[in-house]
Amino acid sequence: MRFEFTAEETNFKSQLSAFLDDVLPDDWHGPADESLDDHWELNQSIKKGLAERGWLVMSWPKEYGGADSSPMMNTIFAEEMAYRRAPGHDRFGTRMFGPTLMRFGTEEQKKTHLGAIANGDIQWCQGYSEPNSGSDLASLQTKAIEDGDDFIVTGAKIWTSLAHRADMMFMLVRTDPEARPHKGISLILVDMKSPGVEVQPIVNMAGVHSFNQVVFDQVRVPKTNLVGDLNDGWRAGMTVLNFERSGIDYAAWARVALEELVDYVNSDTAEVSAAKSDPSVRVKLAELHMEAEAARLMCYDVSYRQGKGEIPSSEASMSKVAASEVYLKVLDYGVDLLGMYGVLEPGSDQAELQGRFFKMRMFYTSGPILAGTNEIQKNIIAQRGLGLPRK
Amino acid sequence: MDFGLTETQELIKASAREFLEEKSDPAVVRAVADGDSDAIAELWKDVVELGWPSLTIPEEHGGAGLTFSDLAVLLEELGAKLAPTPIVESSISSWIIERFASDSIKSDLLPKVAEGEVLITPAIVERDASWDPESTKLAATRSGSNLVITGEKRFVAFAEQATHALTLVRTDDGEPALVVVPIWKADGVEQTPLKHSSGVPVSSLAFNELEVAETNIVATGDQALKAAEELIAAGGVARSAQLAGLGRAVVDATVEYTANREQFGVPVGSFQAVQHHLADMAIAAKQVNHLVHSAAWSFSREGYSVDTAAQAKIAASDKIAALCWTAHQCHGAIGFTWEHDLHLYTRRALAWKTDYGDSAFHKEKLANAMGL
Repeated sequence: MRFEFTAEETNFKSQLSAFLDDVLPDDWHGPADESLDDHWELNQSIKKGLAERGWLVMSWPKEYGGADSSPMMNTIFAEEMAYRRAPGHDRFGTRMFGPTLMRFGTEEQKKTHLGAIANGDIQWCQGYSEPNSGSDLASLQTKAIEDGDDFIVTGAKIWTSLAHRADMMFMLVRTDPEARPHKGISLILVDMKSPGVEVQPIVNMAGVHSFNQVVFDQVRVPKTNLVGDLNDGWRAGMTVLNFERSGIDYAAWARVALEELVDYVNSDTAEVSAAKSDPSVRVKLAELHMEAEAARLMCYDVSYRQGKGEIPSSEASMSKVAASEVYLKVLDYGVDLLGMYGVLEPGSDQAELQGRFFKMRMFYTSGPILAGTNEIQKNIIAQRGLGLPRK
Repeated sequence: MDFGLTETQELIKASAREFLEEKSDPAVVRAVADGDSDAIAELWKDVVELGWPSLTIPEEHGGAGLTFSDLAVLLEELGAKLAPTPIVESSISSWIIERFASDSIKSDLLPKVAEGEVLITPAIVERDASWDPESTKLAATRSGSNLVITGEKRFVAFAEQATHALTLVRTDDGEPALVVVPIWKADGVEQTPLKHSSGVPVSSLAFNELEVAETNIVATGDQALKAAEELIAAGGVARSAQLAGLGRAVVDATVEYTANREQFGVPVGSFQAVQHHLADMAIAAKQVNHLVHSAAWSFSREGYSVDTAAQAKIAASDKIAALCWTAHQCHGAIGFTWEHDLHLYTRRALAWKTDYGDSAFHKEKLANAMGL
């Protein structure tokens, strides 16, 4: 047992922190989401800066331009980026698609795509969910029909973050409609500028355009863009989800939001001045702090186990559930604590903390829903972790 | 970050499991709860032989010189089997004596603790049920080179078995003092046994002009308060370690039950509603486990972290008790019976959550540590 970072880890963390001091605007409070139009330029420049310093893909093996950094180091990276609410670390390319391609792609595909991700030159998006396939992803219906050297893709993907900014999409398509659901799926790569691709914006409940519906009308995709074997895309596709499912972002966001609330309560200029002398506020913030630290330790445990070569599937699900839930609890409490001011939206006169607690509460309603709903995660915990019978 | 157990810890865990499986089965737990003090004595004899009370006592004083993390690993196993034996009481008293007492107290008492000749239990709480050392009233008047103690301490665990109490008094100059007080068959100490849900002996101690040599003082003034704060923090983490083990045992038992109990022709554990209860329980148990390890580790270093110690006790108190109630729901009617062992765990969890500061007490500590 050891509950501190190594010297190397601490050193890296402070270097990254210093870099972020330089590149983030003064008084930066996010949002962290890298898909936001307002901050696209910032997102791109941070991505480039990270790439130049070898940090963007430091988790990758050396042969693909990475530093082969440990899972703990990668978690420290993700945590610090989230704690600073910094955009620019390109989760789709670096954390999800890149590692999948290394494992399942052809040499040609790796050569074409990995360098571009590592240099921060290209934006990927993920085409998984469909209008009728959410948690039950294997029921997806977007079809790819073989036609000579091409597939012809028809259907729709939805909740696609960054589709409006992306150069390429990695997507799951049905290539054998006769096979059992998991068996007839393939993973293919689509150029977003292909004729027949239409990106339709969706505005989320926070009033932000962060995701989209993408409609495919007979889009031609060369067969060389198939990743892995035909009809074997489910395996490759699920690898992506293992990279996606960690709670560290939420744990870090919870921590920084809590710190802001503590500062607010202690501040002499807070409009809600009664909070300072209200003992229930102290008690609630202490409880949330404990919850946030518990979630953080769960995320570190996942990295620790990964570092030992385990695949901590149940633990990763636990960390996602715990961290996304505590983050919402912190945001809920922030809105409550601000009382009448809590419902003033960003840009309003007299908004406290720039109205961001309300906005974040709206925005992160998505936390327990995306990347596998928390209910699905609990199924994984119960069945894979605890060994309870499937129905 | 290293969440793994050391070789020593693996060894402690394995040997504790093997021993407790046989020696702390539910029949023993129930017997002790029903007042069988022979069963406590028998178990104590064995654990002294195993060296458990002296785990963290330095080698120079006859102990094994192991860390607080090592102790936490042992306590988890004791908690998982509800072992009715005063390892927390003894270990925490020794810990504080080692950290704060004079060399003569240490070299006199600690080797005897290691040999099982002396058993020291903390006696901090008074009539107001407060764990705040500042609220101490137990009066100690100076008389020559003695202290004369009059007043009351409440909720003292294993006082019936203990030879000494590590207690907080207020001397006639108004200063607090931490004192080791011999209580075994002492004139001037009257014990009132309580019917306590922990299922182990818990008593109130009435002191009536009990004379204690001044040399038994461990610390006075601010140093006494500091020692008491550390005693409560360390005791809280130790209880939390027991609660972590208890929580894990309840999760395991509930998985076992729901995976086998059939209704509608299938195991009830195949229903999502039940699975989600269990997933939440497993998350809670895991969180408490991590927070306990993190806090215990801080005690293994120089000083300790007020912040993580408070987090551990808040989480253990609230989450493990809640987890037990959910376990009752998952067990259905059978878990509502006296015959089923589940309520033994629930009773213990409810008792331990009050010990060494409850959740509200530690939230106040944590709020301070957060700068609120």
